[in-house]
Amino acid sequence: MEKTTESAPPLKLFGSWASSYTHRVQLALRLKGLEFEYAEEDMSNKSDELLRHNPVYKKVPVLVHGGRALPESVIILQYLDDAWPESRPLLPADAFDRALARFWCHFADDKLGPAVGAVFASTGEEQEAAVRQVHENLALIEAELRDGAFKGRRFFGGDEVGLLDVVLGCGSYWLAVFEEVTGVRLVAADAFPLFNAWLRDFEALDEVRETIPAVDRLLEYARGVRHMLLGLAGAGAGAATSTPAEAPTAAPPAAAATTAAADIAVDI
Amino acid sequence: MAGEKKGLQLLDFWVSPFGQRCRIALAEKGLPYEYLEQDLRNKSELLLRANPVHKKVPVLLHDGRPVCESLIILHYLDEAFPDKPALLPSDPYARAQARFWADYVDKKVYDCGSRLWRLKGEPQAQARQEMLEILRTLEGELGDKKYFSGEAFGFVDVAFVPFTAWFLSYERFGEFSVEEVCPRLAAWAKRCGERESVAKSLHPPEKVYEFIAMLKKTYGIE
Repeated sequence: MEKTTESAPPLKLFGSWASSYTHRVQLALRLKGLEFEYAEEDMSNKSDELLRHNPVYKKVPVLVHGGRALPESVIILQYLDDAWPESRPLLPADAFDRALARFWCHFADDKLGPAVGAVFASTGEEQEAAVRQVHENLALIEAELRDGAFKGRRFFGGDEVGLLDVVLGCGSYWLAVFEEVTGVRLVAADAFPLFNAWLRDFEALDEVRETIPAVDRLLEYARGVRHMLLGLAGAGAGAATSTPAEAPTAAPPAAAATTAAADIAVDI
Repeated sequence: MAGEKKGLQLLDFWVSPFGQRCRIALAEKGLPYEYLEQDLRNKSELLLRANPVHKKVPVLLHDGRPVCESLIILHYLDEAFPDKPALLPSDPYARAQARFWADYVDKKVYDCGSRLWRLKGEPQAQARQEMLEILRTLEGELGDKKYFSGEAFGFVDVAFVPFTAWFLSYERFGEFSVEEVCPRLAAWAKRCGERESVAKSLHPPEKVYEFIAMLKKTYGIE
């Protein structure tokens, strides 16, 4: 465990257990061997502390370091590199490689995440269009793994995981969960062999297994949100929504579902 | 590789505030480059090869290798030319704050501005309210400082200053005055406009307004 003297001011992470943005920060802290206190936020009932630390967006994750607040997961991750330069770096050293990592992180958040969220929040033709979008986006990443910027690499960061692995990886587990809940094929192994291989290697890492919640918890959560989303949309139960026997044990109130839907819609 | 030419090239579109960020940064750093105006209705082979994912400007080519997205380009210029004046501060927390506010500008300003001139009635009124809130928030962050970064013109200033050329348009479509609503922001805009890099990169606000009028006509918006 690396622990530098700069760890004297304590680290506190405000997060939400099902938020992949939160997982990114937890994973990064673990990869760097940085100890931190974790505070679970109820997003339907945000704490005063959270609102004080992130008045602009009122979201998690927020990392507080020595009393100073850092919101936005990708900004937090870069901060960790900057503030702990002796720790295992998330970004590569070369300026051009850094630009590529940043580009694909932005793609993950700006394009892929919302597309996956759209699949989850829709049915019928609308969902089909969203699925096509996801496939297009994944195909671009697959192409980079096959013959582009990340050709021949085990991870996007190279032999070890880096920023892009953390950003893409914390969220890609939703793909399998959403496939299960909606019955839609999102990331077939034959269509995206390299992406699948990468994800498998990523999810096998100790720090990742420590960070990502158990799949049955994710499934239960996702079923609950899907149920609420379709109920709110007034759509009849889609082909693969939960049956009465599978009704979620902790159905969130409608307000939470909308918030959860917004979080889940962009989470990847 | 997109192109084999040595040195720096910028694929850009004259009125793009995102492109202007790059022009300002290059000027601030004293880096020579070739400016290549793009026809966005008839995209060049070079652009499509340089940015196949988004097919957008700006793209910076450095010895033929493409760097896409304006804020990523700004980071790249800091990192690839470390002997030139940096846009980002060196303190980690200050860097995080700079990234946060530049990202805020990215998330909020252009989109809200577009809704202001594209929409009518209630949705336009909503966009107007949002724009006021955005400008007030940015004014709050600026405070009494000379620039967003403090004494020196920096990352957030470069990220936001191109949008000052759009203020006139926001004012006309939103029926408000930036000077009245956000006097500090208005003063900051004027201050930035006196910098050579900014003066040379931005187009007159009337030209931006004309451009929007042309877009509205093209899209059949009254």
